Amino acid sequence: MRRQQSTALLQGTLDVLILNALCIDPMHGLGISRRIAQVTQGTFNVKPGSLFPALHRMQEAGWLTSEWGESENNRRAKFYRLTKAGRQQLKEQTEQWGLISAAMTSALGLA
Amino acid sequence: MRLKALWQNLFRRREVEQDLSDEMNSFEQMLTDENTRRGLSAGEARREARLEIGGAEQVKEAVRDVRTGSLFNNLAAEMRQTLRALRRNPGLTWLSIAMLALGIGGSVSVFSIFYSALLRPLPFAEPDRLVELHETRLARGVDHAAFSEANFWDVRAQNHVFTDIAAYHEDEGNLTGSGPAEKVTIADVSGTFFHLLGVAPVIGRDFSAEDARGGWDNSVVLLGNDFWRTHFAADPKVIGRTLRLNGKAYSVIGVLPAGEPFLEVQVYMPFGYRPNSNRSSWEFTVVGRLKPGVSIETATADLDLVGNVLARAYPRDDKGIGFVVWPSRRWIAPENTRKALWLMLGAVCLLLAIACVNVANLLLARGISRQRELAVRTALGAGRGRLIRSVMQESFSLSMGGALAGLLLAWFALGSLQALETLNIPRLAKANLNPWVLGFAIVVTVLVGIFSGLAPALQAPSSNISEALREGDRQTGSRSQNRLRSALVTAEVGLSVLLLVGAGLLIRSFERLTHVNSGFETAHRLLFSINFPGSYWENGAGQQFLDRFSERLSTLPGVVEAGSVNSRPIVGWDPGMSIDSQFRESKQGGKDVPWAGWRIVSPGYLKAAGLKLIRGRDFNGHDRPVWAEKGQPEPQRHVMISQRLAQLLFADTDPIGSHVTLWKGQSNRDAEVVGVVSDSRERGLGAGPALTVYIPNGANALTSEFVVHTRGNPLAMAPQIRAIAAEIDPNLPVADVRSFDEVVQRSVTPQLFNTLLLCVFGGLALLLAASGIYGVLSYAISRRTSEIGLRVVLGATAGSILRMTVGLGMRPVLIGVALGIGASLGASQYFASLLFGIKPFDAATYAAVIVVLLATALVACYFPGRRAVHTDPAVALRSE
Repeated sequence: MRRQQSTALLQGTLDVLILNALCIDPMHGLGISRRIAQVTQGTFNVKPGSLFPALHRMQEAGWLTSEWGESENNRRAKFYRLTKAGRQQLKEQTEQWGLISAAMTSALGLA
Repeated sequence: MRLKALWQNLFRRREVEQDLSDEMNSFEQMLTDENTRRGLSAGEARREARLEIGGAEQVKEAVRDVRTGSLFNNLAAEMRQTLRALRRNPGLTWLSIAMLALGIGGSVSVFSIFYSALLRPLPFAEPDRLVELHETRLARGVDHAAFSEANFWDVRAQNHVFTDIAAYHEDEGNLTGSGPAEKVTIADVSGTFFHLLGVAPVIGRDFSAEDARGGWDNSVVLLGNDFWRTHFAADPKVIGRTLRLNGKAYSVIGVLPAGEPFLEVQVYMPFGYRPNSNRSSWEFTVVGRLKPGVSIETATADLDLVGNVLARAYPRDDKGIGFVVWPSRRWIAPENTRKALWLMLGAVCLLLAIACVNVANLLLARGISRQRELAVRTALGAGRGRLIRSVMQESFSLSMGGALAGLLLAWFALGSLQALETLNIPRLAKANLNPWVLGFAIVVTVLVGIFSGLAPALQAPSSNISEALREGDRQTGSRSQNRLRSALVTAEVGLSVLLLVGAGLLIRSFERLTHVNSGFETAHRLLFSINFPGSYWENGAGQQFLDRFSERLSTLPGVVEAGSVNSRPIVGWDPGMSIDSQFRESKQGGKDVPWAGWRIVSPGYLKAAGLKLIRGRDFNGHDRPVWAEKGQPEPQRHVMISQRLAQLLFADTDPIGSHVTLWKGQSNRDAEVVGVVSDSRERGLGAGPALTVYIPNGANALTSEFVVHTRGNPLAMAPQIRAIAAEIDPNLPVADVRSFDEVVQRSVTPQLFNTLLLCVFGGLALLLAASGIYGVLSYAISRRTSEIGLRVVLGATAGSILRMTVGLGMRPVLIGVALGIGASLGASQYFASLLFGIKPFDAATYAAVIVVLLATALVACYFPGRRAVHTDPAVALRSE
């Protein structure tokens, strides 16, 4: 039971981070992973075992689309792009995280 | 989006998988590139990349798990694996499927009969508001009786609780005019009968008020559906055709739908109100439709008021009249049939449970030997849930296989049961594999899957993988697993005891029932019936026929004695009357007036049926019926009474020449007793010796059920008898020809069927239990081979080893027997009314069941035990 809860929490975090990473440009899996590590200053190091299931799940949910393309080093790679629904999702989740984060910060007396 | 994904995941699996593989490869490649750029060697770079991915297969598996429809794909894959596993073990697979097929097939067949007999709704509109009404005379011990015609019309007019009530009366008639004369069943119904039930004719129209205007003399009929099919080839143009019934012409106005009850008669005639209708003869079944919202209690209370009015207005016939109202669900099956069907359903479910336990046991045994495989799979990333699922899938596959085979079995079983016509199970012909029954089958299949898989599934994923991996197969049957298996044996034995006790009690009852003295001599007796048309009741025509017919019969060389009666012995209808004597009345007052069945008999009947005249004389040609003929003075009435009735009415005094009052409290006819007749079980073998009044036959009291005592095979006489009847009147059909022996046998077919079925269930249960005991003990002993070997080395004798092993096997059996006996004691009293001549706690039955079960268990334990005795210590000790 406890494990499931923490997974769910992680999943929510991961979703919004992925959506955020794709906000500007389409990216391939490795790029997304590196971008997340970069923007969170290494706090989140997303393993492929979590990243790919999340990508596929979000794609099936209609938030992302994917297509094969050329990577910056001329490798064939699958690129993910936000859809309209994905942008909407990003907006909603960002707002939600803003609320949660403000609430948690004040609740725990961190500010 | 989702749908598209689902479609692709399910049906374009290959492309989706290829895409995923490509993506993983590309990912790995890019990681490797990155590592190379960091300055690692090519080999190092690749290794680092793989480490970071942490197992491409696991990542893929994780992706597969989140896909829409992953459940289907996983299930399909696992299903294939399961089926492979089952194929590897054909013995276990087929054995399990066979056991489950028996259990499921049996329970589906019984449920199908059960549904058809008890659950299928009546073919009438709003059956909840339909009721059946009966007259009562509680002061005289009559708690339900048919209605008299006059009382029916009065109650119909005076009640405030029914939208309508209608009456129904079965009769027979002779159909002539198309080929040889034929006997048909006729129902006289009051005009609104079908309207009340909410039954509309399939073609034509219902009776109108106009059709019933003539009282009992109307000229239209409705046809029963079966009759229409068999006699008119389902011709829709039958409307307007003419039927000649009992010499009178009737015009067909419609055809009723098929169904039960009330709709299985061949021809329906309407009757309407007529003045001066009879108030003393209880003949009519009365049905009513309650006004909306009226309860049975309210209705009964209202009827009591009507009863008070009737009792004051007609004290002669209606003194003490009351009414009882029954809900319409009683139309389908009488109480004992209901109980018998419940018993069968319960029994077959027990059998199914035993089959489940056996399959669970088999799977458990195999689960233990599969422990290593499961441990390996756990190590490779299969979750606990998935392992439980895989074991469950196995049991589900087995239960589905069992269900398919079982349905086939049920289909055959129903077909062959329906071929037996004498089972007397209501609506048996309609029992089929309808959606409700299939729904039941599905539920049963799922439950069987769960129950037979539960124990093995909970055993399956060992939490301690490394241990399971390290240890050999034979080490892994733990103590708790053995306990579980013993518990299963206990359950199996307990359930078997229940079934065997049930079977035993029914066998003993049936044995008692068939050896009961019916009071009749049934050997070399032929029974048949001739139905007289209405014209035979006028001008002594029937009497003339009877006289000539019996004269001709008695001259036949093969005939010893011939007689006739108004109701076929043991299986016929049972008209009754209250009867009293001065003697009894003076001793006991007017209380507890005896209720006796009455039979109109011809002078030769007693001898023909093998009844003995204890005192006095038999009727002769001079005795007249007890009813006065039209325009004639009241006759000198003579009756004979049965021995027990004589005892009740006259105690030990001589009844010959004494007088009795017939229809006491109603028509109060005085009659002289001329004879006392030995007791008989007129109302069926299961009922006690009947109290009977014998009345002489005559022109206005015809007897149409014949009993002929023959010298040789009675059935061989049938053609000659038909010929004689046809010679006298070619329009009279001879019907229902059977030997007396056969009639008696058929009267107990339902009990025979119950007994046989429960015996089969009990036998199967015993077999399954024995195989369970054998399997568990064999396994336990094979696990302890080395221990036994050690004991042998240390000097244990063969006897002591046999005792030890058999003791080991018998322990769960003994517990099971004890539990089963306890449960049987509790359950059997609910079915006491199905027993005959024995108590539910029949010690002999219980003792026999215990002996049979323990003996079977001992045999099942002996073989594994003997193998243990022959253990070669050298081999045994090396075995680990």
